[in-house]
Amino acid sequence: MSALFEIPGVIEGRALGLLLVVAIFVIVYYYLKSGKIPYVRRVAGLDAIEEAVGRSAEMGKPVMSTIGIDGFNYWTLSALTILEHVSRDCVKKGVRILVPTGGGDSSYIVRPVAEEIVKDAYTIEGNPEDYRPEDLPFLSGQQYAYTGGVVGILQRAKPGACIMVGGHHSEAMNIAETAVLVGAITITSGTYVSNVAVLACASDYILIGEESPAAGAYLSKDPAQRASIRCQDIYKGISIALIIVGTVVLTLGSDFFIQLLSS
Amino acid sequence: MKSRELSLIAMFLSFLVVFVPYFIDVPALDTFSTKLITITAITVSFTLLLAIHSQFKRGFDFVRRKPRGWIFKVYMMITIVLMLLFALGGLETGSYHWAMYAIITPLSSVNYGILAFYLASTCARAFKARNTKSILLILTGFIMLLYQAPFTGAFFDLGPIGIYLANTFGLAAGRMFLISVTVGAMVFGIRILLGQEPGVLGIRSEE
Amino acid sequence: MSLLKSFNSYDSRIVYLLLFLIVTIPLLSPMGLPISVSPSTVTYYDVIDALGPDDLVLVVLDTEFSGYMEIQSGIIASMRVMVERDAKMCVAVSHPEATGIPELVFAAIRETVEEHGYTYGEDYVILGYVFPNEAAVASAAQDWQGVIHKDFYGQSTEGTFLDQIHDWSDWTLISDYTTGIQSGSLINHFGLRGTPMIVNCIGVMISTQMPYLSTGIYQALLQSMRGGAELEYLTGHPGPGMTAMDAFTLGHYMLIVLIIIGNIGYFGTKENSRRNVE
Repeated sequence: MSALFEIPGVIEGRALGLLLVVAIFVIVYYYLKSGKIPYVRRVAGLDAIEEAVGRSAEMGKPVMSTIGIDGFNYWTLSALTILEHVSRDCVKKGVRILVPTGGGDSSYIVRPVAEEIVKDAYTIEGNPEDYRPEDLPFLSGQQYAYTGGVVGILQRAKPGACIMVGGHHSEAMNIAETAVLVGAITITSGTYVSNVAVLACASDYILIGEESPAAGAYLSKDPAQRASIRCQDIYKGISIALIIVGTVVLTLGSDFFIQLLSS
Repeated sequence: MKSRELSLIAMFLSFLVVFVPYFIDVPALDTFSTKLITITAITVSFTLLLAIHSQFKRGFDFVRRKPRGWIFKVYMMITIVLMLLFALGGLETGSYHWAMYAIITPLSSVNYGILAFYLASTCARAFKARNTKSILLILTGFIMLLYQAPFTGAFFDLGPIGIYLANTFGLAAGRMFLISVTVGAMVFGIRILLGQEPGVLGIRSEE
Repeated sequence: MSLLKSFNSYDSRIVYLLLFLIVTIPLLSPMGLPISVSPSTVTYYDVIDALGPDDLVLVVLDTEFSGYMEIQSGIIASMRVMVERDAKMCVAVSHPEATGIPELVFAAIRETVEEHGYTYGEDYVILGYVFPNEAAVASAAQDWQGVIHKDFYGQSTEGTFLDQIHDWSDWTLISDYTTGIQSGSLINHFGLRGTPMIVNCIGVMISTQMPYLSTGIYQALLQSMRGGAELEYLTGHPGPGMTAMDAFTLGHYMLIVLIIIGNIGYFGTKENSRRNVE
């Protein structure tokens, strides 16, 4: 299929992609600097994180937060952002935080960053002596050995809340269901569409799709960062418009949108 | 220059090295980008040594304090050493091969199989027809479960409706998810590049 | 009333025990329930049936061992057909746990291999764990000879049919058996460049793989253990897939029964509590 337009110097078929990426940069930067405060709907899963930590503090139980089994991809990065907020909230309320890591071949490189985040939370809140390295066990680089370890920790520690964000694969179901069975408030993030269905049933709150990467901006309560979430809606609006108009135009026999998207 | 600014500059340059060759054909940059990815992969492999060090350090500390379950830490450290010794004897045959296929992979498969039990428990607990949406969801679930069971097709053809549901609603949901996740990841990545997510870099966020 | 209450909240171990019995009994004493073959499996079979002695197939076992238990029927049935068609197979894996799987598969199809005189080095080569990450897949797609020099046993690949492979365009077919580890990388570096791909994936991945089928990146998609069982049925070689289909069917029906029982308990206790309030 021939492209509708080309940009000199850009590889064929990638011009539109480049334009969209540059545009998203500009729009996000604009929203970060503009000072506008758009409406951002409540995300129940993210609001529930504070409630879950508070409930654990009342019951005198720890909070477990997992960051997934992947290496440095955007799910893990968004999980680390959420971990920063959770760990600071836990330290403020005097709740012990457990962060088991591992599960994948690349999970070794994520662990030092997670350790640093939790340690810094204790330091910033003025309780560096309360930090316990044994609360961040590295369980295994093997997925199901990690799962067994997490399930064991859940059964023994019986946390008040289990915040399971980041890149979880088939072990997500094991962990979420065990967390519910031990009575923890379970907040999960459906990182893959195949996981969303089962986690929506198994957990109390679920973050679907882009709610997890938006968490850092949402939880920071910084208007500029929240404004950047608007950019996601703009691009989703563009996608919806392309789908609807493209379907109509293609049905009428024109290849315009296919040529446009092939550019 | 502060470490925060240095980290952001290094990150932005790395981003450009990988991002630019995808859109603009610069052969030297393409090669450098591939090498950078390979270097990252090798560095990741070396962090395995850090993980082993961390495990033994924590393990010895655990055994010294002797809390409940300390014997399992001893077991873990012995099995790490044993597997390392087995691996020295070759990976394709011998004791490493036996340990992998007689112990580790069956245990891994059993853990994967346990998923079915958790799914059954969730089905019984969570699928309640509380409102119209959940009733529709349950009915759709029934149709798909019946369609997936091979025996159903032998006397009652649910193929057309099952394939229709999978190829319209299922496909649409999958694509919707992919679009929203991609957009979310792009915006998140841009916030990181612009220094709005310091926690991710391990930089202490300032009050 | 107490029965309805027990339907609404009960010990999960009862569910686990029931499921264990429902799955184990048919495995020990097969019932031989008939199965139907779906169009997607027929399409998959047509693709591998069309292979011939001049075709070069890259078989990627993109799974851990736990995932292999779900898709082994599809792997064994597909590779049996490829052996029967004398297609040349190069077997690579993308997870350390999967390094022993090629030998298990060839042991399962040993009779077919011997019958057709399928010889290591001439007709098939096992490379082992050569696709640990996307960089490896990308390098192999761009410059095969620069990346792959030795097979799993440490022998040189020079002199085998792999001498004909230079980049992605030299492969007739990529056959990916995946739990999602490097499937994206294979699509990016082989499928999107035009190399025909067929995929056998686990059940939870089916909805995420369908877009690639509808856009033509995949020629065919074999769906999980059920697809593998259907392929065994089509090819006339019953195996682990067909053996498991009785348990598969009864397990699905049991989930439906559990949902119905849970809802009876839910509505029963909801009705009773409303009556009590009145």
